[in-house]
Parts: sequence; structure tokens; C-alpha cells
Amino acid sequence: MKYSLLLVALLSSSTIFAADDTTKKVTMEPAVSNITVVCPTGSCQKPTEVVAEKACPAPELHKEKALEAAKAEVQEEVLMDNANIRISVTGQGVAPMNTSSPAQAYALAKRAATADAYRLIAEKVKGVRIDGEDTIQNMMVKRSTVRTSVRAMVRNANVVETTFKEGLCEVEMEITLSHSQFAQ
Amino acid sequence: MRSRDGNHSFTLAICSVVFLHSLALHASEYLISYRYLVKDATLYNETLFISKAMKKCLGTPQKPIYLDNPKQKSLKDLLSSYDSEFIEYIHKLGLHVEHQEKTNNFINSSTTILTLKTTCFKVDINENFAKIAPLK
Repeated sequence: MKYSLLLVALLSSSTIFAADDTTKKVTMEPAVSNITVVCPTGSCQKPTEVVAEKACPAPELHKEKALEAAKAEVQEEVLMDNANIRISVTGQGVAPMNTSSPAQAYALAKRAATADAYRLIAEKVKGVRIDGEDTIQNMMVKRSTVRTSVRAMVRNANVVETTFKEGLCEVEMEITLSHSQFAQ
Repeated sequence: MRSRDGNHSFTLAICSVVFLHSLALHASEYLISYRYLVKDATLYNETLFISKAMKKCLGTPQKPIYLDNPKQKSLKDLLSSYDSEFIEYIHKLGLHVEHQEKTNNFINSSTTILTLKTTCFKVDINENFAKIAPLK
């Protein structure tokens, strides 16, 4: 009886060891695989376990999609929280014909150029309203009219440079926009 | 020197009231508006209206401009002598831009109007400088 019990114990132990050997073989085989996984979290280990390798790419794809969506949102948002936008324009103006002195001509041309620069800033920041109307009679264009208009309030615009050459005055003007100016 | 009735504090109070009142009268309020029109890239019309306020304005002074050594005592004369500085300052305060452009059969004409809407300014003219600040 004792011997039979010993025999049973030996057999069971041998089967257990045999089973361990088989599992070792199974676990060693996937190590040869050429799958390379890049985990952004850095928590992924070497591809020793096939199950772990397959589980890792799924959340990675989700993260990539989320990152792409976030980037797209950032690109859509023109004026970000901490960033400023600097807008630079150059306005042009000419002096009237009947000026009494070159100095007066310069002063008047500069004023006109400043107004043009303000208009350009308003156009860039706020936008332009455009209305068009074409009249066609007997298959011919009789009248073509385009009306554009801008209405805005411009504050804190700075004159960078003024040039006056051959009756034309150019005023370079810039304005810095920040998110806080538009926060409601 | 001691007064005959010996009431020093009363005299001092009267003097200080007179002094403070004169200071308060010196800092007065003005209504200023500015507008200029540019037609086809040429300055067409420019107006600067200055008027003394007939009612007390509400608001606190903001972003003042200091004009040194004012020889003129009235604001109109002062601003006519410092016109370029003051108009530059008005531009910094902010102007309302209204632009209209019309292209008819490929012939273009444009009108731009820049306006400072009537704003109340607190003006303080001393011997050394003049302080002008908009009330908002």
C-alpha cells in the first residue's frame, strides 16, 4: 500500500514537472517575434507575453486619435490663451494737389495713410462685408458694382515706420492682440 | 502771528477750504470729439471739437497725457500748439473706423472715416505741465 502511494506521488510529481516544461516552451516561443511596440506611457515591457503585446496597441491608437483631435482643435483656435498675435499692415496715402508747402503735403498724406492702416487692421481683425450686384441686359453686362464696408473700433495700434516718397506716404502700423482682450 | 481772537484752527480751516476749492476749480472737464475723413487716399476733412462740460462727468481718469510747460491757459490754445502729440494720443485711445468702398464698372472709390466719439476729459493745467485724461 505504501509503495503504491509512493508511486502515485512520484507519477503526479513527474506530470507536474512535465507540465512546467511545456509551459516554459510556450512562453519562450513568442520571444522570437519581430513585433515592435512603442508605448507612449513607457509601461510596456519587452514582448515576452503575447497577450501583453496585443493589449498595448489598442489604447495607443486611441491616444493617437485623441492627440490628433486635440491638435486639430488647437489649430482651429486662432488666438490661444497665452499667445499673442501681432498684426502688421502698411497704409498708403497721398497728399492733396493744392497744398501750400511740402510739410503740409507730408502731414496730410501721413494722416490719410494712417487712416488706411487703421482700415487694414480692421479688415484683418474683424472682416469685410462685401455686396456685389451685376446687371445683365440682352446677354451683356450693363453694370457691375461691388461694395465693401468695414466697421470696427481699433485701439492701441502703434506706428512702426513712416516713409514719404514721391508724394506717396506709407505708414507701417502694428497691433498686438491677446486672448484676454476678447475674453467675455 | 497770533490773531486777535486767538482762534488759529478756524483761520486754518478757512484757508484750506479756499485753497482746495481753487485747486478743484482749476481741474475742469471738457468734452472732446475728433473726426477725419479720407476719400480716395486723400485727407478730405478733419475736425476737433472742444467744449467745456456743462454737467459733471462720471467716471475715473485713465491713461493721461502730460504736456510740458504750457504757456497757454485755455485748452483750445494748448491743443492747437500741441496738436500732433494730442492727435497721436487720441489715436492710442482708440478710434472708430468706418470704411466704405465702391467699385462701379471697375472704377474704384473709397471713403474712410475715423472718429473719436464725444468723450469727457479731465484737464488739469499747472505752471509746469498740463494733464489731460479721459473719464471712463
